[in-house]
Amino acid sequence: MKIAYYPGCSLHASSKLYDIQSKSVLGKIGIELSEIEDWNCCGATSASKTDDFLAIALAARNLGIADATGFSEMMIPCSSCYSRTLVSQKALAGDPALKSEINAELAKKVEGRIKISNILEVLLSRQCDIKEKAVKKLTGLKPACYYGCLLTRFPSDMPVSDSVENPAAMEGLLKSLGAEPLDWGYKTDCCGASAAVNDMDMALKLMSKIFKDAAARGANCFVTTCPMCQLNVDAYQEEVREKYGTANNLPVYFITELIGISMGMGAEEMQIERHFTDALGLLKELKLI
Amino acid sequence: MSTSTLKYSLETSDALLKEVMDRSGQNLMSCYQCRRCAAGCPVGEESGVTPDRLVRMVLLGEKENALNNLLIWKCVACYTCGTRCPNSIQTSRINETLKQMAKERHIEPNIPRVASFHSSFVKSIAHFGRSNELEFMALYEIENFKKGGLTAVKEDIKNTSKLGRAMLTKKRMHFKLDRTKGKSEIKGLFNKAAKKRGVKG
Repeated sequence: MKIAYYPGCSLHASSKLYDIQSKSVLGKIGIELSEIEDWNCCGATSASKTDDFLAIALAARNLGIADATGFSEMMIPCSSCYSRTLVSQKALAGDPALKSEINAELAKKVEGRIKISNILEVLLSRQCDIKEKAVKKLTGLKPACYYGCLLTRFPSDMPVSDSVENPAAMEGLLKSLGAEPLDWGYKTDCCGASAAVNDMDMALKLMSKIFKDAAARGANCFVTTCPMCQLNVDAYQEEVREKYGTANNLPVYFITELIGISMGMGAEEMQIERHFTDALGLLKELKLI
Repeated sequence: MSTSTLKYSLETSDALLKEVMDRSGQNLMSCYQCRRCAAGCPVGEESGVTPDRLVRMVLLGEKENALNNLLIWKCVACYTCGTRCPNSIQTSRINETLKQMAKERHIEPNIPRVASFHSSFVKSIAHFGRSNELEFMALYEIENFKKGGLTAVKEDIKNTSKLGRAMLTKKRMHFKLDRTKGKSEIKGLFNKAAKKRGVKG
């Protein structure tokens, strides 16, 4: 089965490993990702903070390209891209004047036909295939499943397939693969996102709460689907430890890495060495690689 | 600014309220100050202003405070406030509107670096259709330098070069320039946006 795929800027740059993993892990369960051609940046939160029109229009161009592929579904792994694209699609469906105004600028017009899915939704739809392909139990892995903000909360009313405040899809999936995900309180709290660059003290404070709770619950790693959350929580552990005295470093896995490991894929193949906080040590310790 | 001395101003409240409601698409009149948004806001404590206070400022016509406070710049767009509001008010949308209005009125942002960050990010999309981390960071630091001179960029450069070094070691730095071929379409959208802003401003 082939579906459309929008990687977004970060999966082509700092989170290239997530792009590679998404393709190979989904490939293994029979889903081929077809990257839409000549896509552009969705605008992320920056466009919505500066210009209401661009916030809808930038993602709309990608929607037009996606509709033209003829695929019925497009997967977007990055939470921010997923959110902006979904918000744009919904805004255009409810505002025909804006839709035709934007379509006038586009080579491929938005029809509003394609279904936008995040990576968790796609993985859940194939949970049976994942379990069937699993060759290794994720025994000893105690992840704090970290959803972040944009997977379940939107700036406009949006139907969400999981609980908004207490989602549990990641936990269910990982439990079925033998891991022991923990109950914890910060699964949908904000990592600070771009504040890590432009308001660092604020971001470090937000991350310190996440680290403290995960450690107090006995987590030995984080797992996430969002490249922004992954980068922040992975890269700033030292700074947070220095300032807030938080506990030891915890690896921050992409969901694809843990599913890949359970299906017998190698750490090298998934480029797990590209984490800021060592992510190979724990897997070796638990004899998962 | 003080939040404890909100004053109702007949002259300013109607115009401000109308503009914020029109542009944000949010019905501020339905706020009954239950403060669920305040309880959930991760940056309210540091900002000294919570989302409910922001709504109140607009309702009372406290224009200066509404356009000039830490919350509109510290907001991390986590959308917790809007998700928890029993009346479906998306305060983050109000926040975005106030930020844009402040810019149009040439009010100096309370945290200039936040403003520089977002405007540089959008500028980098205008250049190549995609955001390229290195080019974007360069634009961002140039903007910071223009606004605050060397002192403004010193701390930033220290922090980002630390991240930069880690990114190099972990092969997470991307040097190739990613670009969208449909330049004329991107340009068309940016032109239309500028035209719309012109009409508003």
